[in-house]
Amino acid sequence: MIAPIQATSLGKRFGRTWALRDCSIRVPAGKIAGLVGPNGAGKTTFLNLVARLLEPTTGEVRVFGRSPRAQLMLLLDRMGYVAQDTPLYPSFTVSDMLAFGRRLNSRWDQAFAEQRLRRVEIPMEKQIRHLSGGQQSQVGLALALGKRPELLILDEPVARLDPLARREFMQGLIEAVAEDGTSVLLSSHVIGDLERVCDYLIIISQGRVQVAGDIDALLGSHHLLVGPRVDDSVRPPGVDVVKASHTERQSSLWVRGAVPHMPDGWREEALPLEELVITYLSVPGAAALPRPELEEVPA
Amino acid sequence: MSWVTWRQHRLEGAWTLAIGALLAAAIAFVAYELHVASCGAIANDYCFSDDIGGKIAQGLARFNLYQYGLVVLPALTGAFIGCPLVAREIENGTHRLAWTQGVTRLRWLVVKMTLVFVPVLVIPAVVGILEAVLINQMGSRPNHWAVFDQHAPMTVASTLFALALGVAVGAVIGRSIPAMAVTLVLFVIVRIGLAELGRPNYVAPVAFTTHDLNTFSSPPVGFPDAWWVDQASQYDAGGHLLSSGFKYSTQAAYAVQHYQPGDRFWQFQTIESAILTVLAAAFIGFAIYWVTRRVS
Repeated sequence: MIAPIQATSLGKRFGRTWALRDCSIRVPAGKIAGLVGPNGAGKTTFLNLVARLLEPTTGEVRVFGRSPRAQLMLLLDRMGYVAQDTPLYPSFTVSDMLAFGRRLNSRWDQAFAEQRLRRVEIPMEKQIRHLSGGQQSQVGLALALGKRPELLILDEPVARLDPLARREFMQGLIEAVAEDGTSVLLSSHVIGDLERVCDYLIIISQGRVQVAGDIDALLGSHHLLVGPRVDDSVRPPGVDVVKASHTERQSSLWVRGAVPHMPDGWREEALPLEELVITYLSVPGAAALPRPELEEVPA
Repeated sequence: MSWVTWRQHRLEGAWTLAIGALLAAAIAFVAYELHVASCGAIANDYCFSDDIGGKIAQGLARFNLYQYGLVVLPALTGAFIGCPLVAREIENGTHRLAWTQGVTRLRWLVVKMTLVFVPVLVIPAVVGILEAVLINQMGSRPNHWAVFDQHAPMTVASTLFALALGVAVGAVIGRSIPAMAVTLVLFVIVRIGLAELGRPNYVAPVAFTTHDLNTFSSPPVGFPDAWWVDQASQYDAGGHLLSSGFKYSTQAAYAVQHYQPGDRFWQFQTIESAILTVLAAAFIGFAIYWVTRRVS
C-alpha cells in the first residue's frame, strides 16, 4: 500500500531559521499517526508543507506518491485538512460552512457531514461565532470528513479544548475514520491526547525528527533499567542507551533494544509512552528512526 | 465558488451599494434642480429655484459633497473592499481553510475578484455619468477639464486601479489595516503623479503666442474649453526668456502660454483611463502570482 505521506530530506527555512530540517518520514497507510513535539518544533511547518501551504526549501514531500507541487488539486480532493485553531468563517452558519465544503469540493458527502454534527448536537442554523471552541473544532472536523478523505490531517485539533471535550473529540475522530480506514496524521504538543488514539508516533523537536515508529513497537523496544550506581561510561551489551541518569546510589538507563538478561541488582521498570517521549525530547541528539525504505512511486 | 463569494461579501456589497446609491441620488437631485430652475441671468453660477428642493440642492452644491465624493470614493473602495479581499483571510487564518479545498487558488482568487469588482464598478460608472449630466446643467459653458477626475471613464478606471492595488497590497502584507494605509498612500502618489506629470503632456500642448502685450491677460480670453497647462512666459525680441508667470517685463516682445484644447478632453480621458487600467491589470497579475505561489 502506498504511503499517504512520504517526506525525503524535507526542510524549510524562514529567513535564517530552519523550522524543519532534513526530515525523512513515512506516514503509514490506514493508521492514526501522531506528530508530537514541543511548541515551535516544526509540526505545523511539516503539515503546511504537505498541503503545499508552504514550499519546501530542501527535499520533497509526496502525498499518495504524488508531488503536491505538480498535482495539488488531485491531492486536495483526497485530503482533509484542519489547520491550527480550526479556521472557519465566523459570520457563516454551520449549514453555510457545509455548503462551503459542498461547493468547493468535487467529492462531498453531505449526509455524512450532517450526521457527524447531529451526533455532537450542533445546531445547523447557528452562527460559527456563537459556537464554543469545542463545537467549532467539531465543525472543522465535519467539514474535513465531508470530503470522505483518504488522508486526514489535523493540526493541534484539541489545543483549545477542555479535557472532557478533548476526549469526546478524539472518540468522534476514531469512530469517523474507522469506517473508511482513513489515514490520519494529527499533531499535538500534549502526548496524553495522542496516546489513546494513535497507532504510530512521530516525535519532532527543534525542527528534526527524533522518533518514528509503531507505538507498540516503540514501547516493546524501550526499557527503563534501574540498578546500582554505575559509571556513566557503562553500556549494557545489546542495547543502545538513550539516556542515563545517576543518583548517589542508583543509576537509571533508558535503553532501546532487546534486553537479554538482567544483571544482578538490576530491574526493569515500566516505561509509559509519555515518559518515553519526554526522554527523547530531553536528549535532542537521540534518535530512533526506521531504516529508509525504497518504494516505487508512480509518475 | 460564486456562492461562497456571495455569502462572504454580501454585507459589504450592500453597504457599498447603499453609499453609491446615496451619492448618485444626491448628484441626480442637484442636476434636476438646476434643470428645472429658470434664472438664466446668472449663467456662470449655480442657479436654483426658491422652493425647498432648490434650497437643499443649493446646500449640497455649495459644499461640493458629490465632487469630493467622486475623488475620494475610488480610494476608499480600494482600501475597504480591495485590501481585505485576501488580507482578511490571511489574518484570520481562513486561507488555510479555503486553500485546502478542491478549488485552485487561481480560480478562488479570479472568481472572488470578478464577482466583487464588477458590481462595485457599476457605481463609479453611474455616478460619473450623472456627474457629466450635472456639469452640463451648470452655467453656459462649463470647463470639463476642471472636473477631469469626475468623468465616467476616469471614475471607473481609478476605482478598478484602487481595487487591484488594494488586493495586491493586502495579499503581500496579509493584514487589512496596514494594507489600507499603504494602498491609500500608493493610490494618491500614482494619481497625483499622473495628473501633474502625465496629463499635461499626453499630447504636446498647443502654444498660444501673442505680440499684443498691452491687452494680454493670463490665461488668455476666448478659449472657454481650454486647459492652460503652464504660466505665460515672456520673451524679448531675440527669443530669450525674460520671465514666467505674472511679472511683466518692459523689454518683452511677445508672450507664450500653452494649453490643451477642449476637443482633446475625451482623448485624454481615454489615455489616462487606459494607463490606470493597465496598472490595474499589472496589480491583478501580481496578486494572482503572489497568492498562487508565494504566500503561505
